[in-house]
Amino acid sequence: MKLLEYLKDKLYEILIFLFTYIILLLLLFAFKSDISLITAFSIIILILFIILLLIDYFRKRNFYRELLNNIEALDKSYLVLETISNPNFYEGKLLVQALYDINKSASENIKNYELQTTDFKEFIEMWIHEVKVPIASLILMFYNHKDKFDKKIIEQIKKIENYVEQVLYYVRKDYASKDYLIKEVELNKIISNIALRNKDSFLENKVDLIVNNTSCLVLTDSKWLEFILNQIINNSLKYKRNIKNSYIKIEVSESNKQVILTIEDNGMGIPSSDLPKVFEKSFTGKNGRVKTKSTGMGLFIAKNLCNKLGHIINIESKENSYTKVSIIFSKNNYFEVLK
Amino acid sequence: MERILIIEDDKIICSELKTLLKNSEYEPLILNDFKNALKEIDKINPDLILLDINIPYINGELLLKQIRIKSNIPVIMVTSRDSETDEVLSISYGADDYITKPYNPNILLLRIGAVLKRVNNYQEITKYKDLKINIQKGIISNDEKEIILTKNEMIIFSYLLNHQNKIVTRDELMTDLWNNNEYINDNALTVNISRLRAKFKEIGYEYAIQTRKGIGYILV
Repeated sequence: MKLLEYLKDKLYEILIFLFTYIILLLLLFAFKSDISLITAFSIIILILFIILLLIDYFRKRNFYRELLNNIEALDKSYLVLETISNPNFYEGKLLVQALYDINKSASENIKNYELQTTDFKEFIEMWIHEVKVPIASLILMFYNHKDKFDKKIIEQIKKIENYVEQVLYYVRKDYASKDYLIKEVELNKIISNIALRNKDSFLENKVDLIVNNTSCLVLTDSKWLEFILNQIINNSLKYKRNIKNSYIKIEVSESNKQVILTIEDNGMGIPSSDLPKVFEKSFTGKNGRVKTKSTGMGLFIAKNLCNKLGHIINIESKENSYTKVSIIFSKNNYFEVLK
Repeated sequence: MERILIIEDDKIICSELKTLLKNSEYEPLILNDFKNALKEIDKINPDLILLDINIPYINGELLLKQIRIKSNIPVIMVTSRDSETDEVLSISYGADDYITKPYNPNILLLRIGAVLKRVNNYQEITKYKDLKINIQKGIISNDEKEIILTKNEMIIFSYLLNHQNKIVTRDELMTDLWNNNEYINDNALTVNISRLRAKFKEIGYEYAIQTRKGIGYILV
């Protein structure tokens, strides 16, 4: 609160005061009062007026200064009402009360949406667990009666499974707080799980899987990482080229500060114009349009999950040559100390 | 024959699991009375339990906790709840393994086999007819001769040996190989098997491994 601005605001009071003062002065002159009485009277009334103004100014200034400073200092400025002391003047009290009411109504509104989204999220999670049961039944049925079913059926079931999983992790990525658990995980074990899961697709598509010394401990959530790797591998399998020795190569390199997991294929590759956009939501690019219909969600979710887990995911590629995705895990000394 | 108790409330999964286990020469049993699950388990006294987390009346994790108070029956959690927390919780309550639905049936069977082996202190078969088998070293020998198998060949031969006189599909062999982190392709499997045959021919068992066309292989 600036004094000058405050005085401008008090213009009417000042004008009325001056007007009254001049009339009084004229009256005093008219009655031929003593000049020293007039001087004394003028000084007293001026000082009185200034004191009145200053008292008012300082009462308000303290309150508004605290309010404005705290708003600026807080990262969640809507909480400012909890941080200021109660004003001791009427206007201030009115203002605080009004702000409080506005805040309450907004909070109630937000809470409502929050409940709706958690509700929705819980429903989706429950639904996914339920839909997995018939998928599991279908896979078991297929296996038990292989002679009766076409092999194409299992491919379609696997597709459904993958899409369902994408939904699960799409929901999870925004409510990460309670869904993940970071601990030391053996990379080898995760890669082995992924390999087994996709074994049939590798063999069906005649893509070789090459895994080179991947034994290494990283700090991550194994289910999340499994999902991320599965998306990458699925992409590689989907966008393979029709050449003889298609492969996907998984490697790990380790340094003092970080572990880098790379997944490289010799597939279609990604045009350089598409490359910066592959992690964007619903981005399908040239390959996604040419090959099969693609949702463009896999890498988007993968990237989001990586961010949450604190891993860095990078992609490099050359069209008609290769695609190489690397995930960087940083090593954390803090965890070592805690152990 | 090992008796495996299925605790699962979905009727179709139950019956399909039953078929799957029967075909793999286990004796499957199904728990019907979830209200008195603990008593039922006591009465049946199975060799292994496949336990779902979402079952009526009692949560699978709680049931596992109660089972563990007085018994060490191997338990594999089979569930659609796919989160690290559930897995860690289950293992800490004493589950021997944790598999999420939907699973590959071959993998389920491998895991069941592995858990049963572990708890029964299973001794690896070390003999085939008059041949001595050293799995760790990959050496098979009789009194006069010995042959050295590669890791892949040993995995294949062990699997055939454990299922002697039964037809083993290529898919089963493939799953076992991939499960042992040997990610080979179809051609490589064919090559490995013909090499294995050639080595057995050296030692006098030319016709030990036979092909059943369109189905798989059999060790006689």
